[in-house]
Amino acid sequence: MNRLTGIACLALFFLPNLQAEQPRISPQGRTFFETKIRPVLIKNCYECHTPEAKKLGGRLLLDTRAGVLKGGESGPAVVAGKPEESLLIQALRWEHDLEMPPENPLPETVIHDFVEWIKMGAPDPRTGKTQEVAGKSYEEGALWAYEPVKNPAVPKAEGELADWPRDSIDQFVLRRMTELDLKPAEDAPPEMLIRRLFFDLIGLPPDREQVKNFVADFQKNGQAAVGKIVDELLASPQFGERWGRHWLDVARYAESNGNDGLSRNPTFPHAWRYRDYVITAFNSDTPYDRFLTEQIAGDLLPAESDAERDKHLVATGFLALGAKPAKAMNNNFDMDVVADQIDVIGTGVMGISVACARCHNHKFDPIPTRDYYALAGIFISTETMWGPAANEKLTAPPTDLHVLKAAPNVKPPEGWKETVLVLESNTGKPKAIPKSKWAPGTPLAMGVRDKKKVADAKINQKGDAKKLGEAVPRGFVSACKTEVDIAVNPSQSGRLELAKWLTSGDHPQTGRVMANRVWLHLFGRGIVGTVNDFGVYGERPTHPELLDHLATRFVTENGWSVKKQIRDIVLSRTYQLSSIAPEGAIAADPENLWLARHTRRRLDAESIRDSVLKVSGQLDLTPADGSIIRHRDILINLAGSSLHEPSNHRSVYLCYLRNSPPPELSAFDLPPFTKPTGKRETSTLPGHSLFLYNSPFIIEQAGHFGKAVIAENEDEKERVRVAFHRALNREPSEEEMYRAIEFLEAVRAELNSEEKAWAGLCQGLLTANEFRYVD
Amino acid sequence: MQPLPSRRHMLQTASCGFGYLAFKGLAAAESGTLVDRPARHAARAKRVIFLCMSGGPAQLDTFDYKPQTGKKPHPGSVYNFAHHGESGLLISELMPETAKHADKLCVLNGMHADTGIHAQSFLQLHTGDRLRERPSFGAWISYGLGTENQNLPGFISLNTSRPSVYSSSFLPSIYSGTPIGTNGEAMEKATIANVTGDHLPLSVKRRQLDFVQVMNRAHAAARPGDAELDSVIKSMELGFRMQTTAPDLLDISDEPNWVLEKYGVGKQKAPVGTCRMSDFGRQCLLARRFAEAGVRFIEVNHGSWDQHKNHRRDLEANCAVTDGPIAALLEDLENRGLLEDTLIVWGGEFGRPGLTPGNGKNETGHNANGFTFWLAGGGVKGGHVHGKTDGTGARAVDGKVHFRDLHATVLHLMGLPANDLKYSHAGRQHRLTGPEGGKVVSEIFA
Repeated sequence: MNRLTGIACLALFFLPNLQAEQPRISPQGRTFFETKIRPVLIKNCYECHTPEAKKLGGRLLLDTRAGVLKGGESGPAVVAGKPEESLLIQALRWEHDLEMPPENPLPETVIHDFVEWIKMGAPDPRTGKTQEVAGKSYEEGALWAYEPVKNPAVPKAEGELADWPRDSIDQFVLRRMTELDLKPAEDAPPEMLIRRLFFDLIGLPPDREQVKNFVADFQKNGQAAVGKIVDELLASPQFGERWGRHWLDVARYAESNGNDGLSRNPTFPHAWRYRDYVITAFNSDTPYDRFLTEQIAGDLLPAESDAERDKHLVATGFLALGAKPAKAMNNNFDMDVVADQIDVIGTGVMGISVACARCHNHKFDPIPTRDYYALAGIFISTETMWGPAANEKLTAPPTDLHVLKAAPNVKPPEGWKETVLVLESNTGKPKAIPKSKWAPGTPLAMGVRDKKKVADAKINQKGDAKKLGEAVPRGFVSACKTEVDIAVNPSQSGRLELAKWLTSGDHPQTGRVMANRVWLHLFGRGIVGTVNDFGVYGERPTHPELLDHLATRFVTENGWSVKKQIRDIVLSRTYQLSSIAPEGAIAADPENLWLARHTRRRLDAESIRDSVLKVSGQLDLTPADGSIIRHRDILINLAGSSLHEPSNHRSVYLCYLRNSPPPELSAFDLPPFTKPTGKRETSTLPGHSLFLYNSPFIIEQAGHFGKAVIAENEDEKERVRVAFHRALNREPSEEEMYRAIEFLEAVRAELNSEEKAWAGLCQGLLTANEFRYVD
Repeated sequence: MQPLPSRRHMLQTASCGFGYLAFKGLAAAESGTLVDRPARHAARAKRVIFLCMSGGPAQLDTFDYKPQTGKKPHPGSVYNFAHHGESGLLISELMPETAKHADKLCVLNGMHADTGIHAQSFLQLHTGDRLRERPSFGAWISYGLGTENQNLPGFISLNTSRPSVYSSSFLPSIYSGTPIGTNGEAMEKATIANVTGDHLPLSVKRRQLDFVQVMNRAHAAARPGDAELDSVIKSMELGFRMQTTAPDLLDISDEPNWVLEKYGVGKQKAPVGTCRMSDFGRQCLLARRFAEAGVRFIEVNHGSWDQHKNHRRDLEANCAVTDGPIAALLEDLENRGLLEDTLIVWGGEFGRPGLTPGNGKNETGHNANGFTFWLAGGGVKGGHVHGKTDGTGARAVDGKVHFRDLHATVLHLMGLPANDLKYSHAGRQHRLTGPEGGKVVSEIFA
């Protein structure tokens, strides 16, 4: 094994002490094998080198990893990492006496692939067992996400760490650590834990008082104190703003269509209602199965009141929010809208990229094109309503909207003029403004409803709506089995049954995918790293049994309650580990796959802005009322970037226009919201530091922060302490105190301004890594 | 305890692309730094200026002369062409200034693309893929070669539209294009976001950053093994340096009047039909300044050449606005000795069918089956024509060059392996030239 570790491109690694384990193969190694190596072996070698061969050549089997490594009469065929020592390469090169394949040598490029493959360590997923699904054969375990969720027995720790686990989560994690000879880090000190809990649960830092009270309570009451603060945070309205935002990422929520490819970008003035729906759903802990059902088929659900009916209709905005391409010269426009809906269900809910099957059978996953069109039938039987979309027929042609009954009628402000600004593309002159079909202020919502006439979809050959094949009965993804077969109601679109199928409890992905998303937001990494892709080429779970345990717990014990699920996890010992570990432990597991410590994370764009506002004393915790564009059905490219307005509300209430994001957020890896986003990127770009140095937002807030510090105390040193506690929740060190005062004096001397000196120091604290990296 | 090879390390080493493993300097590439990396074979150009003409320029009225051939009128050129330079290159009367540089141009008349849909073809021109978000051309080059200037990004896109055309997509985000002027923002005001701030003098900002960086280093030291914290510390310094470098480059007030005049900075006073305001002269001048400062890939944008309804008026306006600045850029680069290692690329997502003289029509549509690009500078023949379309300009018939071939050719000229600059993402190897691969058009090399 050691000979492998020095190889430059190590595409697989071994788990020590795990005799039975197949070596872990990176997605890259797997792809390389599947695309470059396996086809060549099948075509050129299997005839003589499999057990089925009429005459086994040289007693060498090349159809399993074990066979390749064991070799035949002449010795091992492959020495992983050492192509020059591998007989296979000698044979392929027709060097010495070995000349394979016997008729003709393979092309040089193919031999080169084999050399590269061996250099990588010869990643090879073949175990000798394969399974057939949807006409394709798969390695054992490749289709793990299509298999039913199990409820694995909870392991029991033994030995010196027998008392370490607090929750069954810890048992699963500890067992893996033990197998890998890793030891858990120290428990996080309460000062670290409280900051982590605040950011993870509500996306804001605690204040000085909250830290002080918690630390005292923790020292006295231990985990009871944690339980108490967790319950408080889960009950606070800020919880829904934080966790609702996570879901809005999945739902590719935005308040404009985004550039349609022809630089036109109409607003969605009513999208904010969906945002509020999501925040409320998380705050009221709507069970996830119900939450999904409302979003997919809210219009088909019974309602007891107008308010409930409104809520259900608003929820279906989920299916209407997508970024549409231009309708102009695009015969496939309607199917493009359907593709977005299938994608948000596929990657967002199921973690499977069903959308690939639009044009051909899925290359990797067992999803035939027929399945795609079975789902497409559901959505072509559905009327998708995004509204007038600035009345630009060449983009997304105007549609109807849901008219709400209980929502208040909010009239545009006095003197308001309809601002439809569509220009005649030829003359550049404004078009006449069509008369709106609704009186100003009518409460409207984006969403879907069943078409009057429902129908099955015909296969679009190669994804072209002009080349129609046979019709496919409406249905779901055939490779994902549920116990009870659910058939589409022939007189409806089938969305209600789609929701029933997804939330049936034994659907193989729905519970796992959401349990994994919750885990991601608490640990910085999913148990499945590719949170939107549980498919064959996504990553495998690091802790498959823990994932199933969590999915079972989520669906069964916790009754799809996200709050209960979060509570269980944050009270585990694993979650409460320190993020600081001895250096050797980091070298042993740099990515922290095995959770022997907590992962340090950078705040996302929203939390950075919200925290800056909180620290500066400017944060307005009341929810925003609607959106700044609620009366504006316009093309934002023509309106310019002037639509955004400064606000002290939480970031979730800012105006998320596609291609024109809020300037206070855009610097820190805001996704484009054109596709479901699972995990936010955290890049390191000079643009981040420029934002912290010079953005009007930071400068203004640093000014407020400085003034607040000045106002709070007379004493210079106490002021520095106040500033540190506000920004970093801790006392400055002696050296920091010294350097802070030195800085203040230097700036006073240079600029002769007390305010600028404090603003400068406070901006510095907001700029510090410690401010935006949470331990 | 047995050290496990790190997953990050594994992905880093594996993700550079297997065909790419032989190349040196990849550790640097993968750590997402913008160091200058040597080219893989003899490079003919060090940087690219892409003059992106969105909307589909009418090739038959600019660079691909199609005279009437028989008695029956057929689609073709409706403007006069003349031979220019020693090479005698045929250029239309709409490009009188560019025509003076005929001997520098390498005209590709056999371009073809997959689709006449603007958005898709525009994306394919930029990323090689017409449907999915993929790394942009400039991001690939920045990934392959890094930047020559440690104080600036490697890829800058001027007057740009949507992020998908300058995005690094799955490549590390440091290779992403830095936009200057998006969504029709006035170019004279366009800048790199937050690059300046006058709330504190630079001396105080430096003092402030020193205070912060001491804290950051102590913070990182107490958290050993966290590479990200270290890279943020470095990135904060690059950001700091950009504050002084980038504004100077963007501030063209140090240019003499005759230069501003020559480039026609601010000359365009109003849009005409489809011809939008782009302050194209300023863009070309900025491109020269960035090229000089060592930015690898500079994209300059003007649109829209999508002159459907009033072909003549709008085409004339588009040519009038871009012709002078392009000529000024070519001349300026040559005078500064930069042209020989700067590759200029001119073209749009497709071309247009020709008008038929005498039939009174003034409308044109899209043509992806045959259209024109031209290259100049770094390593290409001057006064040269490669490829041709049929008698009416309807389709490329000879010397055909697809976008993927153009990409391959540019990568090759930059010293990068055209079809082996790869990156592994989502289970498979990706390259700019796509699964089909591109053909390097070596016939045009000087």
